[in-house]
Amino acid sequence: MSRISHNGQLFFSFFKSLVGKEIIVELKSDLCIKGTLHSVDQYLNIKLKDISVVDSEKFPHMISVQNCFIRGSVVRYVQLPSAEVDIQLLQDSARVEARELKKK
Amino acid sequence: MSDEGQKNNQDGGMVEEPLDLVRLSLDENIYVKLKGDRELYGKLHAYDQHLNMVLGNVEETVTLREIDEETYEEIVKKEKRKMEMLFVRGDAVILISPPVRI
Amino acid sequence: MATLMEPFIDILTNDGRNIVGTLRGFDQLVNIILEESHERVYSSDGVERLHLGLCIIRGDNVAVVGLLDLDLDKRIDFSTLKGEPLKPVVH
Repeated sequence: MSRISHNGQLFFSFFKSLVGKEIIVELKSDLCIKGTLHSVDQYLNIKLKDISVVDSEKFPHMISVQNCFIRGSVVRYVQLPSAEVDIQLLQDSARVEARELKKK
Repeated sequence: MSDEGQKNNQDGGMVEEPLDLVRLSLDENIYVKLKGDRELYGKLHAYDQHLNMVLGNVEETVTLREIDEETYEEIVKKEKRKMEMLFVRGDAVILISPPVRI
Repeated sequence: MATLMEPFIDILTNDGRNIVGTLRGFDQLVNIILEESHERVYSSDGVERLHLGLCIIRGDNVAVVGLLDLDLDKRIDFSTLKGEPLKPVVH
């Protein structure tokens, strides 16, 4: 996230800044998939590389999958590497976004 | 709405719509209730119009309800876990409660 | 015939099914056409294969699409692989 204004796409920009970092995506089916963020789109669909399912003993379903696409609408949480997040920039961006949304 | 009110709102004084209340909670600890008997406490770092959020130092509580097979009594269990930094998708959010101010 | 150009993919649907097949087409809504597909049903006594053949999966019901590594997949003995069924996605 280099700029502060994101044209109503705050989290799209935010996730783009985390490309290459390891995240854990928790789905609304409770399944947790850990992997390296490869890309994200405007719907917050996510592509991960080098994935592993957390609790793969119980859920071996993705055992021979390394790269996957996750539909944004089935995501509950994304656990993020806190050391990689610029909290000040993120909060400032959220304030700018709120102001720009009001103008419209 | 008076001009003064509008002006105040620009830098965060006044609340005229629900999202203003969320904006005033930035960098504060908030409570979030989610679908599926989930609750979060954490510091609000970002949000958008869908109520997607990023929270820091989050504690999640999941409430599980089971019926005891013998007594038919409801057993309520609470599971807690902590996460350093969490993105929460807005479509599961039921309510956000700002911190209590003195 | 699955060639190198036609990826073998592994789909998790919103109702917790796992469908595997050769990707023959998709669109922006993530509607997917699979050929030579089958469903893998996980339980405590190994994975059962259900033949599906050619099928179209509506994008709304697709939760995850994984690129299957065929070499890895061939090495797995699914008859003894134990797993719990996935829970459905609850919106």
